[in-house]
Amino acid sequence: MKVLVGYKRVVDYNVRIQVKPDGTGVVTDGVKLSANPFDDIALEEALRLREKGLAEEVVVVGIGPADLTAHLRNGLAMGANRAIHVQTADAVSPLTAARTFLKLIEKEEPGLVILGKQAIDDDANQTGQMLAALWDRPQATFASKVEITDGKATVTREVDAGLETIEADLPAVITTDLRLNEPRFIKLPDIMKAKSKPIDVIELGSLGVDAADHIKTTHYSAPPKRSKGVMVKDAAELVAALKQKGLL
Amino acid sequence: MTDPRLSELAHLLPELKISTDPGDLEHHGRDWTRRWTPEPLAIAWPSSIEEVQGVVRWANAQGVAVVPSGGRTGLSGGAVAANGELVLSLDRMNRVLGFDPIDRTLTVQPGIALEAVHNAARERGLLYPVDFAARGSCQIGGNIATNAGGIRVIRYGNTRQWIAGLKVVTGTGDVLDLNRGLVKNASGYDLRHLVIGSEGTLGIVVEATLSLTSPPPPSQVMLLAVPAMDALMKVFAEARHRLRLEAFEFFTDRALHHVLAHGAQRPFDETHPFYVVTEFDAADERAEADALAFFEFCLGEGWVVDGAISSSEGQAAALWRLREGITESLAPHKPYKNDVSVRISAVPAFMAEMQDLLSAEYPHFDVVWFGHIGDGNLHINVLKPADLDNAVFVGQCEHVTSMLVETLARHGGSISAEHGIGLVKKPWLGSVRSEVEIALMRGIKAVWDPNGIMNPGKLL
Repeated sequence: MKVLVGYKRVVDYNVRIQVKPDGTGVVTDGVKLSANPFDDIALEEALRLREKGLAEEVVVVGIGPADLTAHLRNGLAMGANRAIHVQTADAVSPLTAARTFLKLIEKEEPGLVILGKQAIDDDANQTGQMLAALWDRPQATFASKVEITDGKATVTREVDAGLETIEADLPAVITTDLRLNEPRFIKLPDIMKAKSKPIDVIELGSLGVDAADHIKTTHYSAPPKRSKGVMVKDAAELVAALKQKGLL
Repeated sequence: MTDPRLSELAHLLPELKISTDPGDLEHHGRDWTRRWTPEPLAIAWPSSIEEVQGVVRWANAQGVAVVPSGGRTGLSGGAVAANGELVLSLDRMNRVLGFDPIDRTLTVQPGIALEAVHNAARERGLLYPVDFAARGSCQIGGNIATNAGGIRVIRYGNTRQWIAGLKVVTGTGDVLDLNRGLVKNASGYDLRHLVIGSEGTLGIVVEATLSLTSPPPPSQVMLLAVPAMDALMKVFAEARHRLRLEAFEFFTDRALHHVLAHGAQRPFDETHPFYVVTEFDAADERAEADALAFFEFCLGEGWVVDGAISSSEGQAAALWRLREGITESLAPHKPYKNDVSVRISAVPAFMAEMQDLLSAEYPHFDVVWFGHIGDGNLHINVLKPADLDNAVFVGQCEHVTSMLVETLARHGGSISAEHGIGLVKKPWLGSVRSEVEIALMRGIKAVWDPNGIMNPGKLL
């Protein structure tokens, strides 16, 4: 079985996000960029399936500008067999990402696609669901446990009410939740080996994907600063203050 | 509060919070050492400089000793109160008082936690660079009193380098306003530096003006598996030559064993005798390529046999946890601890000699080494064998200390690199400082604290 893994690059989740002064986006220059944490979990899960003998090949897929190569090399160093770099200088919406994956699926014919449940930059939580619909295959989202047997995936999902276990026929789309696994460290000797692993570069335009932007982001702004707390002397003053704010 | 001395204190300072609750006495009467039974007279929580002065004047009048008390994360007994002292806790003086963007200084009260200082600096786009594992609980006043070091000394130096000004209440109750944030001030003895590292024996830090700096560019963390002790310093020299180091720490396989048993993530499938955690600037792809070239070179020389690198800040933290989690993971084994230093170049010879002595005399001991090897600072921990009686173990450890002191003396080292002398190291001060030096220190103390009420029995 071949496993396709989405591997997006985002601003590291420990970085304090700053909005550009002109409101056209967030500052990414000189800022630590890392793999989307849920994508690291997706890749880790694919590698574990391969190590268990349930998958033969793990392919990481990135959609983005030319300098995404170094990021994909990290995915290769972590253990993916090869990488596909779909090049575009434009921002990629979830729908465009899903359509791109569909084109790659037609070519690669994977038995399983594992994506992060969402990327921590836009927090859209859409690509996996859209892809399953376009591909007309089952989806198992928010996975916290995955078992593969006899062409079926048994997936434990983290839902509001607790845990839900579902069965999906393969091929299918799985999206990962935080507790699925703990991604391994990248070993330095593997970075050296990853230099010789293949990265296929495909222009997004050449895939025939409709990449039209249906949604336009007009402005970015930082959330309002939290105002300072107020000290009150006693319960009566607290009640009065809350009433004044219309909270009681 | 039946003690008349406390009634007098409460009368003099009616706003002062005082407690004689047994729980408070035990909690605030000790630090992270457990050798002494806490027995303070009471705990007082002043909330202003004037209240600190009032307490000190009362202590002079009543002949009560005062133990200044911060986060009490110390390992040398410097904050232990076991002889009816008044513990003067700075917990309530924990605010940021001011920030000057032109001076790049942050003025704080002494009871603020180190981590809160980090956050206050970060909120202003700057960095307070002194950092170590106890950051969440330790307080800046205690950092100053011990000239705390930690994991970034290799790049930024000790606490001393970052103190632009200090307000101190002396043992007589006078307030000194030392250096006032001046960058240059060639006007005689710099008393600020006497207070830094004085372990509360000269006075109480009541306000500090801290220098801040620009945050470093993004960094990466590397974990290296090192096959032999003599390779450690070669790896260090190579790393310092090729990379802009933020930290360079080492630990042994025994240390990793305990951290993993405590729940950390295993980095390599095989075990190796030594590990290095190093953090370095990785602003761009060139810096990352330099790091890889450094690794390839060391691999080629046989100085390292495996390595892992952080691909995100989360993984950087996970790699750091392998080093920073050691102290906590050892705690259940009641370790005998020592914090020593030698010149950086003398580390392998000193460590080999000490390890040989230990293996010969106490082959059954689980000896765990780790530390800031890039500063020549080693932490040695001997774990109590489960089947060994505690009293016997303590006796044997005293002998280990004698061996350590003699070995250090041969290598020109220090029995306390960064933990301070406190009570624990007091018997050995003479191995690091000459008689004349110690006499001068006593003379200084007598001037600052003529009645000997400031943290008596510690250091001297």
